[in-house]
Amino acid sequence: MEFKLEAHRIVSISLGKIYSARGQRGGLKLHKNLLVSLVLRSARQVYLSEPCCPPEPPPAGGAPPRGPTEEPPPPGAAAAAWAPGEPPPPPQDEAPRGGPRRPGADCESPRARRCGCCCAAAAGGEAGCAGGGGGAAPLPPCCSRKRGAGERGQAGSPLKKPRREAEEEPPPPPSQGEQEDMETGNVANLISIFGSGFSGLLGKEPPGRRRAPRDGGEAAAAAAAPAEAAAEPGQICCDEPVLRTLNPWSTAIVAF
Amino acid sequence: MFLKFSLRSVFYGAGGGNDIQWCFSQVKGAVDDDVAEGAVLSGKLPEILLVSVPPSLPPPFLPLWVLIQMKIHKRISALRKMKCFPCQFSNTIKSAQLNTSALMSVSFFDQADIISTVEFNHSGELLATGDKGGRVVIFQQEQENKTQSHSRGEYNVYSTFQSHEPEFDYLKSLEIEEKINKIRWLPQKNAAQFLLSTNDKTIKLWKISERDKRPEGYNLKEEDGRYRDPTTVTTLRVPVFRPMDLMVEASPRRIFANAHTYHINSISINSDYETYLSADDLRINLWHLEITDRSFNIVDIKPANMEELTEVITAAEFHPNSCNTFVYSSSKGTIRLCDMRASALCDRHSKLFEEPEDPSNRSFFSEIISSISDVKFSHSGRYMMTRDYLSVKIWDLNMENRPVETYQVHEYLRSKLCSLYENDCIFDKFECCWNGSDSIVMTGSYNNFFRMFDRNTKRDITLEASRENNKPRTVLKPRKVCASGKRKKDEISVDSLDFNKKILHTAWHPKENIIAVATTNNLYIFQDKMN
Repeated sequence: MEFKLEAHRIVSISLGKIYSARGQRGGLKLHKNLLVSLVLRSARQVYLSEPCCPPEPPPAGGAPPRGPTEEPPPPGAAAAAWAPGEPPPPPQDEAPRGGPRRPGADCESPRARRCGCCCAAAAGGEAGCAGGGGGAAPLPPCCSRKRGAGERGQAGSPLKKPRREAEEEPPPPPSQGEQEDMETGNVANLISIFGSGFSGLLGKEPPGRRRAPRDGGEAAAAAAAPAEAAAEPGQICCDEPVLRTLNPWSTAIVAF
Repeated sequence: MFLKFSLRSVFYGAGGGNDIQWCFSQVKGAVDDDVAEGAVLSGKLPEILLVSVPPSLPPPFLPLWVLIQMKIHKRISALRKMKCFPCQFSNTIKSAQLNTSALMSVSFFDQADIISTVEFNHSGELLATGDKGGRVVIFQQEQENKTQSHSRGEYNVYSTFQSHEPEFDYLKSLEIEEKINKIRWLPQKNAAQFLLSTNDKTIKLWKISERDKRPEGYNLKEEDGRYRDPTTVTTLRVPVFRPMDLMVEASPRRIFANAHTYHINSISINSDYETYLSADDLRINLWHLEITDRSFNIVDIKPANMEELTEVITAAEFHPNSCNTFVYSSSKGTIRLCDMRASALCDRHSKLFEEPEDPSNRSFFSEIISSISDVKFSHSGRYMMTRDYLSVKIWDLNMENRPVETYQVHEYLRSKLCSLYENDCIFDKFECCWNGSDSIVMTGSYNNFFRMFDRNTKRDITLEASRENNKPRTVLKPRKVCASGKRKKDEISVDSLDFNKKILHTAWHPKENIIAVATTNNLYIFQDKMN
């Protein structure tokens, strides 16, 4: 059991690192983020392979406060695939409510499972998966591959970031077959949800917002801008559709 | 033969020691900032110049490296005159309350002063340092004084210049850091010195030349440069060169830009002295020193699908004697040796050096700690040394399946990997270096400790670079870290190590027992005690 907790903790720390690396000066460090993603992967593997799983967090009833999103809640799909009948967790809720940057171990694993299943169902082009996958700047999602062409066009903001940065720094873990593909997508979704959760968080906290400029670069600000600018309207959780509709360039200019 | 064997050496603890006796020589840089030190708060650099110690030797210390002279140098004040970082920034930080955490000290200093690379030139007369602010400072060893024959010349600032400026990549909306990642000297071919310095994206060739004469007596020009009216010239004279105060000028002769998509981590000059390689995370390029508008890509490990990326290049170096051979290390702990004669694109290695992982040591962080942070050929070219997070390994180029020697640098950290992962210390990239005769290797650690391993005697020593007790001629006391159990006197427990004080960059003089050790923002010079 301790392994599970430890793995949990490592997963949350790793995600925090990946997220905070987006705003650092000089651009994402490919090497460091590759190592972090490897740790993340192995920690998640340990966690997911443990026989006993901790109980699921609050049921889907908590999902609506997420915001006026039309997207078919990924938790729905996740729940179906993961544990039959178990209600899915609302990670986007928990992130802003979480307050501190690490919403806690609880958020991570459910999110992981949800995303994993979401990816599994993504073959049909899940919108949630798509948006989630797109948001992962440092980890170009495998989900994106499974996404339909139409959705790809919609996911403006989250996709533009990975596309722009994919040239440079995306360090995703390797995929070895379908199972691995799902896990990569897990992480990708994790990042996106995490990121969007943070955006909401940061939008409410001035210090969080000023984090981008403090990092010393218009560039850094620009990279983080789309996520944070989405929070400007004060939305609690930056929903995939909202992120998608925002023009990344305008948000970058706004951040300037 | 410059190794001294002393019968009076006392070896501290079980680790044993070296036969070399290391003495503190100099330290350069701002004083480490405690709030208590008034000089720091005032923002002015204390111009304390301790005069060199008179020749009489102190009572016989236990012989180790000895401090010859301590001088807080003009480096920082000179650099502050350059418009890089406002001094006020560091002042406001310094006057804030210090709140030290258990694991990592909080010290306030100008971020731009963080030393990022140290390199001796081929003769050892010059020592170059690069810092995070994009500046290069070159120290020159003064000529040996006849009266002070027992000590070697000390290093004084020779030249200071701004090598790289922060840039902005508009296409990717990313700032390009000006931090100097590596400096490599070219062998001297004429009166001027040349070095290559690189940041994340651009490599520059700098020429450092001396000017100690200036022309005087022009007919059409006044001494201050104004032109004379030709009609006022009544006589003609021949201009002559007159001596002037030595001026050292640095000028960029070549700029090698726009060849790297990822961050450059290494440069290495070929033994043909005409070409050099630059390596980033996924590619290695071959340049000619004269040609800046193109380079050849000789290694490309970028997968077609970036999602399949599993390893990156962490360091690369040319063989010291074979101009067709180079090695590059990866984040997976492997080293590949490539021969440029085999093909234009050396994606297929000629040799692959890899040690099978010890399964009993497997943990979440096994991959991170096996990532190689530095690779260095021995001067002979027969061996190469690699540094991963916990150890230094020496490989024989003729044997690929395992290293011939492995030295544990700080094995006591193996149980602390999770904490080190949290505070990011596990990503620290330590460098390593050989001594001139390839008999001793040196690398840095935490708490401002650095370690030396004697390959012949199999003894090792841990020394500390600190200003405490470092008066002139101070002999360095060996340090010991107590991993667990009862802590002996003078030992330091693992939990009290300061992980903010790390020595990542060290350099060894190519011919003598002089070492340069960079702490975060200070440069220490040690040399062996001469009798």
